[in-house]
Amino acid sequence: MHPFSFTKAASTREALDAGRRGGRYIAGGTTLVDLMRETVERPEALVDIAGLPLRDVRVTERGGLRIGALVRMAEAAAHPKVRSLYPVISEALELSASAQLRNMATIGGNIMQRTRCTYFRDVTADCNKREPGSGCAALHGHNRTHAVLGTSDACVATHPSDVAVAFAALEATVHLLGPDGERRVPFADFLLRPGDTPNREHALKQGELITAVEIPALPRPLRSGYLKVRDRQSYEFALTSAAVALHVRGGVIREAKVAAGGVGTVPWKLPAVEQALIGERPSDRLWAEAARHASDGARPLQHNRFKVELLNRTVERRLRTVGGMK
Amino acid sequence: MSPQPQAAVGAPLSRVDGRLKVTGKALYAAEHDIDGAVHAVIVDASIARGRITSIDTRDAEKHPGVLRVISHRNAPELPYRDNSGSNNPPGRRLRVFQDDRVLFHGQPVAVVVATTLEAAQHGAGLVKVEYDAEKPSTDLHEAEPGKPTAYARGDADAGLRDAAVRLDLTYQLARNHHNPMEPHATIARWDGDRLTVWDKTQWVMGTRDEIAAVFDLPADAVRVVSPFVGGGFGSGLRCWPHTIVAAVAARETKRPVKLVLGRRQMYFGTGFRPSYAYRLRLGSDRRGRLTAATHEIDAETSSYETFTEGVMAPGQMLYSMPHVSQTYRQVPLDVNTPIWMRGPGFASASFVIESAMDELAHRLGVDPIELRRRNEPSEDEAKNLPFSTRRLRECYTVGAREFGWDRRNPRPRATRDGDWLIGLGMAAGVYDPGRFPAQARARLHADGTAVVEAATTDMGPGTYTSQTQVAADALGLTMRTVTFRLGDSLYPQTGPHGGSSTMASVGSAVVDACDRVRRQAIELAVEDEESPLHGVPADEVVVRNGRLHVRGNPARGETYRSLLARHDRSHLEARGDYAGPPTPQRESYNAYNATFAEVAVDATLGLVRVRRMLGVYDAGRIISPKLAESQAIGGIVGGIGTALLEHTVTDHRDGRIVNANLADYLVPVNADVPEVRAIYLDGEDNAGNALGVKGLGEVVQVGVAAAIGNAVFNATGRRVRELPITAEALL
Repeated sequence: MHPFSFTKAASTREALDAGRRGGRYIAGGTTLVDLMRETVERPEALVDIAGLPLRDVRVTERGGLRIGALVRMAEAAAHPKVRSLYPVISEALELSASAQLRNMATIGGNIMQRTRCTYFRDVTADCNKREPGSGCAALHGHNRTHAVLGTSDACVATHPSDVAVAFAALEATVHLLGPDGERRVPFADFLLRPGDTPNREHALKQGELITAVEIPALPRPLRSGYLKVRDRQSYEFALTSAAVALHVRGGVIREAKVAAGGVGTVPWKLPAVEQALIGERPSDRLWAEAARHASDGARPLQHNRFKVELLNRTVERRLRTVGGMK
Repeated sequence: MSPQPQAAVGAPLSRVDGRLKVTGKALYAAEHDIDGAVHAVIVDASIARGRITSIDTRDAEKHPGVLRVISHRNAPELPYRDNSGSNNPPGRRLRVFQDDRVLFHGQPVAVVVATTLEAAQHGAGLVKVEYDAEKPSTDLHEAEPGKPTAYARGDADAGLRDAAVRLDLTYQLARNHHNPMEPHATIARWDGDRLTVWDKTQWVMGTRDEIAAVFDLPADAVRVVSPFVGGGFGSGLRCWPHTIVAAVAARETKRPVKLVLGRRQMYFGTGFRPSYAYRLRLGSDRRGRLTAATHEIDAETSSYETFTEGVMAPGQMLYSMPHVSQTYRQVPLDVNTPIWMRGPGFASASFVIESAMDELAHRLGVDPIELRRRNEPSEDEAKNLPFSTRRLRECYTVGAREFGWDRRNPRPRATRDGDWLIGLGMAAGVYDPGRFPAQARARLHADGTAVVEAATTDMGPGTYTSQTQVAADALGLTMRTVTFRLGDSLYPQTGPHGGSSTMASVGSAVVDACDRVRRQAIELAVEDEESPLHGVPADEVVVRNGRLHVRGNPARGETYRSLLARHDRSHLEARGDYAGPPTPQRESYNAYNATFAEVAVDATLGLVRVRRMLGVYDAGRIISPKLAESQAIGGIVGGIGTALLEHTVTDHRDGRIVNANLADYLVPVNADVPEVRAIYLDGEDNAGNALGVKGLGEVVQVGVAAAIGNAVFNATGRRVRELPITAEALL
């Protein structure tokens, strides 16, 4: 671990000041500290924001949900409003990490977590994300867990978060506070595909702070759920996952929100699947046909070819389970 | 002497050291508080083959707290005497910091010693090493194998040619790492020319002898202390380079040095279960009587040592057949040297043989258990010896009954539970437990308590507890009044704590030592006119709860305390011996199991989830049923890992281990471990030890992976011949 300074921000203002001077924000620390130990991350100044008043969950005026950036994963998962309005969020959170980590890690930190690509986490390997221009060891290396969607020749790493997949599906908005004031970024624009600059992972400007994630109001009743497919039954990142929310009225699907995880360089929204569902009547055939679009554009690598079919099946399964709910 | 009543042996007792462990008072290798200890962190090679061209240590040396950076450029020349009788495989062992050669990715190339762990870690990151890298060879399938070891009986090729039914199957088994919870660690302290080492090891004597050989010291100048070991599974069966590095660092800095391997370093700083490519051809008649088998076995080893394990044995003796031919080739690679891992060799071979037997059963339409019964040998056909005890048939019967085998539909893909396909599978297991010469010392104190010592280890099976049970009964004392000590090379010598050898070997020595002490006490009493036992034949005296009395007449007797007090003896003491198994062997001595698995496989997603496991064991006498059950659970969990999760992945481009951490190298978590049940058949095996035990730590893992693989076939109709079995094979 490289030497660093550590300060606690007593107020949002203090945090922003420290952030402007180059400080890195730390909340639960469950990702950043690991990466510092491996010297993948070498921040010179850490700014502890865990004490800031960003820990509330509330229903917005329009009937959406606003989750403070410092709400712990475990708190968010257990929150009655999250559970009743967006089970997909609770499920995604509860299938993440371990109980200990969920008690520490925050919502803001979760969406900011960095890839599990083992070459990224091994400082002796080539990685464009860690050292731009050094090359991507995963592209022709061991890439079973890597992405098949949104990749570039510079980077094929997945975004590891589960709840971010739910946020992507539900078209959440990320609330930011910076030196120039507040702004809101659609979730789809917040996390960046690698392109030629995989070291740029998100839309945050220097010193900007995530204050909340807002889920828009969606027509009710809304059925939703998350399916995570992985080798091990618990405590593992997704090989594939699917976040699904459906609004069915009069026997017809009026609204469909679908995204996939474990397969994309960012949480992967599936508009083609959504389009195939909207206006249709639920049926097993529909789920299968719609899910076939999940892997549109997939670019598999040597060891992750299976993810293409597995993704379609994962989406189909979750559509069937959610669509078949009474 | 009269046989002692058995009160502790066979009782389901909890661990005597349980409280120490759960209160954090059991000290593991890195936890010993050694005055003045400084910290060492190894710099590992980032290439797998080549030469070090430069090492720039200036920044590291300037870092506050750093005391010394040692590499081949400034390390002392070390004698590295030969060390015959060690667990070092044939070859030339890795010599730390003796030259500029890099033999595998992660090899220690320097060590940074600092006053704090943080400074040492940071200092290690500041050492700049440059290499002249060569293309490494790390792929078992691409490299040139060494000379084969061969075995043959009959004419296997002709036997196969003439067989009515033939199978020709090739299996790939992944490399597995032990991944004990406790990382390997060493604290080394020199006092003049004497060295004390607190080490994580499964063999204090072996580590002592290796250190003495490396530094060319007399063996008694080195003391190795290892009272608690947080899991081993075989990874502590030899002295690894980091232990030598710690001793070098301590000598160079003239300070006690603590060195703890990071989890990542555990994947190349210690050994592993090698990966295998195993082709098995099997021939049988139409009724399933095996006639011939050929085994072509290739396994990883390092470029500098030739590692072997018992992978050939099951193919020679598990089933009866006239024609067998085997070749076992080690493939030298630019990797570090493998080491035995739970059920070594047998676990790997059993996956192959038992999967193939299941294929044969399916091909013939014979029940897998029935097929095995038809091939049960009446003697060990490789050794031409009778079996001491072999109760595999009973294992099948009990297992089938208790598991509900009759509910298995032999037709694959026939049982469904929602999205899940359900399958049942079974496999047989065998292990040839080790037996090593061992000694122990028992001392009975005037206060009626006793201390028994042997230089063995408790890596988790419960040696402290089970040896206390053995000693307590042999001395006629309660568990509470007996203390068993282990993990110190000053204690009487034993062999390695591995290969399921400890109870048969050390236990026999403990019984012998305790018997001798008890006999001394009895003789003292019966010859003593003041004793109520005066004149009683010594053979008529037993001891219970510290009181000697006439067998069948508890009223006539006296306590150890009164006896020793009257004779003004502070203690009675004796050494016990176990000489090892009789030579030549008169019987084939093995432990057996039948393991059963029920799995659910997601019909479309390919996920395998184990639902139930049962192991039925023929392991001789069970000294400590509660510990034995824990062993079975552990072995089955290990087998689930091998079957479904565990796979050390090497990037063959540069020899790097890609998943050298516990997030990417998957071991089963609680959610992966279903209902596990263990049944040990009652009985004993007196083939070569006084206790009637066979040893059970290995056999509990042998066959588990095959049982799961066979259940996967029953569930899905898919035969997966590559471990681990993952979703992509079942989509």
